[in-house]
Amino acid sequence: MKRLALPFALLLACGGPFRAPPPVESIALPAGSQLKPYDSSQPGKARPQGLEQAAGRVYVTLSNQRDDFSNAGPGFLAYFVPSVGTVSLIDLGGADGHQCQNPGFVRASADGRLHVPCSGDFSGADGARAIVEVDPLANIVTRRAAIPDGRVPNGVAATANRIWTGDAFSTTVFAFDRATLAADPVAPVPVDCPKSVFSYVADVIAFKNDLWALCGSDISGALYRLDPDTGAVRGQVIVGPNPTEMAGLDDGRLVVVNAGDSTISLVAVSPTLSAQKVFTFSSQNGALQDIRAWGHILFTVASAFNTAQRIDLDAQGGPKVVGEASFGANSGPYNILPLDDTQAIVSNRGTNTIAAAHWVTGQ
Amino acid sequence: MPPLSALRRYLIPFALAAAPLARAQEAGEQGETIEVQGQKPSGSPRAPAAAGTVVEGAQFGGEIRSVGEMLLAAPGVSVHAMGGPGQAATLSLRGASADQSVVLLDGIPLQGPGGGAVDLSTLPATLLDKMVISRGVLGAQFGPGALGGAVELVPRSGRGTWTGGATASIGSFGTALLAADASMPVGQGNAVLAVQGDRTDGDFIYSRQLTPEIPGSPYYDFTRENADATRGSALLRVSQELGADLGADLLLQGSAGSRGLPGSSADPTPLSRELDQGGVAGLRLRGAAGDLGWSLRGSGTLDHIELRGVSAIGDCQDGAPDCPREDQRSSSLRGEGELRFPLGEANAFDVLAGAGAESVDGAGTGEHQRGLLSLAVRDDVSLGAGVSLHPGLRFDRIGAESGLSPSLGVRWNPSPPLTLRAAWGLSFRAPTFSELYLMRGGAVGNPELLPERAWSVDAGAEWRGSLLTLSASAFWSSYRDLILYQLFPPARVKPFNVGEARIAGVELQAIVPLPAGFLASLSWSFLDAVNRSDGHSLAYRPPHRIFARLARRGDSVEGYGEVSYTSSFPRNNFDTAFVGSQLLLNAGAGLRVLGPLWIDVEAKNLLDNRTYEDVFQYPLPGFSLAAIARARI
Repeated sequence: MKRLALPFALLLACGGPFRAPPPVESIALPAGSQLKPYDSSQPGKARPQGLEQAAGRVYVTLSNQRDDFSNAGPGFLAYFVPSVGTVSLIDLGGADGHQCQNPGFVRASADGRLHVPCSGDFSGADGARAIVEVDPLANIVTRRAAIPDGRVPNGVAATANRIWTGDAFSTTVFAFDRATLAADPVAPVPVDCPKSVFSYVADVIAFKNDLWALCGSDISGALYRLDPDTGAVRGQVIVGPNPTEMAGLDDGRLVVVNAGDSTISLVAVSPTLSAQKVFTFSSQNGALQDIRAWGHILFTVASAFNTAQRIDLDAQGGPKVVGEASFGANSGPYNILPLDDTQAIVSNRGTNTIAAAHWVTGQ
Repeated sequence: MPPLSALRRYLIPFALAAAPLARAQEAGEQGETIEVQGQKPSGSPRAPAAAGTVVEGAQFGGEIRSVGEMLLAAPGVSVHAMGGPGQAATLSLRGASADQSVVLLDGIPLQGPGGGAVDLSTLPATLLDKMVISRGVLGAQFGPGALGGAVELVPRSGRGTWTGGATASIGSFGTALLAADASMPVGQGNAVLAVQGDRTDGDFIYSRQLTPEIPGSPYYDFTRENADATRGSALLRVSQELGADLGADLLLQGSAGSRGLPGSSADPTPLSRELDQGGVAGLRLRGAAGDLGWSLRGSGTLDHIELRGVSAIGDCQDGAPDCPREDQRSSSLRGEGELRFPLGEANAFDVLAGAGAESVDGAGTGEHQRGLLSLAVRDDVSLGAGVSLHPGLRFDRIGAESGLSPSLGVRWNPSPPLTLRAAWGLSFRAPTFSELYLMRGGAVGNPELLPERAWSVDAGAEWRGSLLTLSASAFWSSYRDLILYQLFPPARVKPFNVGEARIAGVELQAIVPLPAGFLASLSWSFLDAVNRSDGHSLAYRPPHRIFARLARRGDSVEGYGEVSYTSSFPRNNFDTAFVGSQLLLNAGAGLRVLGPLWIDVEAKNLLDNRTYEDVFQYPLPGFSLAAIARARI
């Protein structure tokens, strides 16, 4: 993951573990008129989702929705320095405010650009679905690619020549030409997994010269390894049911969090692509939404119990939770972003805040 | 990170909560029916070969019991209580879902506002004489929907003299109850009028871990908020003999309530409320002509429910522009005729024909109606040597859906204390209005739904001696086309006919009269519920449930102690998350202090375990006390 490059470079340069400045305890996100509601009598709430680091700041998507999940205004990127907490906004909605609604993910590319998929009203037919490109140095929207009708973008990964996203309506991934933003420079690629009722693409990431796509269904899940230019399938492996997120490790392996059975799958790439469930969460945690990695430390979020976990992947006897943080009733933590191997912040969809994790470590 | 997963956290609990809103489980010679009091059985004549249990309301005199709590005395029953007193509770028979059990009040089918599960908390326990639980796929006997069985609520009946009673109680969490009933001669018959009012603040303390992944993580205490409930109910039942072989019965029952909807422990909803009003009316003419018995009945139900401060994500401020109130009305009207006549000496036929309509109207569902038509025939065939056969066949049409519900039962009394029985049944459940049409928050209806279908076979034995009554049943049920709410990418949940399950089990019940007015009872239910599509256990079905009770009734002293145990059961569909086992100890004692006046004290959850939660993380109360005064003349 490119976002880890800078901290690790600092780590190597200083000869010791990188330590980020402590984040602010809780950062309130913009509300009301700051979110430019279409109808001032029915404003939305920030409803923060994806977190990413770029240019020394943290960026978070604000879906700007009402309580009934309707879009109340344009999508936003909010950015801040975690140790400072002052929040600024980038309006992703364009001149008419309707060019991007309901942004979910935000990912940084190798060249430092940010890409944000906007899901619109989930109908697959509205004009508010897009991939928006943001320059984090200037904090402006630089380009926008409209999503072809019938698709709702989910996940985003920028490779050298393509910008890939998944379809929440089907199990295909599709691309835009990185230079021209033309849709479908190669044909959409099926990434199926066994299902009983539903299946969709949960996420796509670019990692170690490959494109990775996660198919999630009510009963299963599959991780696909794809060619980053053509989308040709290089391999696939079954993971747990209803996977929601994945992350790359610095040793080339990947981890996938499976919401269906509350487990983590560890995926080895060589000698062959293989997956093994290495951790099962307690029965009190559920709705696992995110997983990130910092070295051998994993960070996860269990939205239904308002908690985040810090997991030592290399602990004796197998992966072990070495810290857990509670963000309080109704917080709804959604994404987590490690600032170093101990500190992390989460986006709370319920309370519309960014909160620092205070780990309870037990004995 | 995908929008879909953001919804997952909210939509499934919301859909489950919304579903109940709009729609989130015999006499003498009949059936293997055991009265919990150990008296002569008096169960439903509709299901003579079915496994059954009669729970007498009088058994719980001097105790504060909801309908759900009383039902737990029977094997094969589990009750899903979403929190403390006054909060919603639904019934499951033999592992079937709440929608798959029929609840009848004096023979009139009840249903939730959207046509689904009945909220047991809206049924006033003091207005009932007894409850008859019949288990199995009993569509032929009770109509479509009885895939787990049926519960017949038998209201208080009048007597030919003036009698009456009153109960008042006060207890923990601001809980109080007032109930009174009077029976009187009226005209050529009698009447009974009963009323009940109850309320609770529901502000009990519960404990939960905030960091459950950490071994030994501490529990923190919280006070339950917005769990208050207030309810008033009334029942009028009038019976008149209009001639030598002609009689009429009128039943009117109404209930109105208001309660907070407190939400789960992780996501409390202090601003959400629910108001409901409901009523049942029935008029029956009954008569006889020689060997022929007949009855004609007209009945209707009317329910209204209103949600305030409820949103898809949690609660919201009632009255705000983006927080509209949501209400829903549902009603049904039925006419039914029944003939019972012998055919020769060995056959007793029962023929039933009915028609009617049901409707729903609400912001979430829109306005819909559908017709109801039913034709049924049952026979009780005596084969001699103590053997009887009980075949039945029922045809139902509900809107556009039609289905047949056949059944066959056999009983054998080889010697007086012992009865053996076996039964087979097949039936269906039509989708509820909610499942078909409900659009609320992220939930969408599915008009393409097909009926659920099930069949079951069971066998049992009963020993009914003077020193011991023992009953044992084993069953095997198969379900297909089960309607389950599933995520519907990219951003909805929607019901589909995707479930396929097998549920097998064993039910045991023993009742032992003891000296000095004591009575011991024990029931054990075992369930093996399997998702047939993947072999995993079905979520939310406890494999074991044990209920044991020792009670004494007397002229001046009474008391009881009981144990209720529910084993750990799966919380998800993959056998990786579980709700922990729960053990509740309750006890009470009372004295007759003056004339007919009794004073009782009751304690529940004596171990004061405050960590119990239901499957949706709704906390359950810890230790509670209640004082009860009652008199009956």
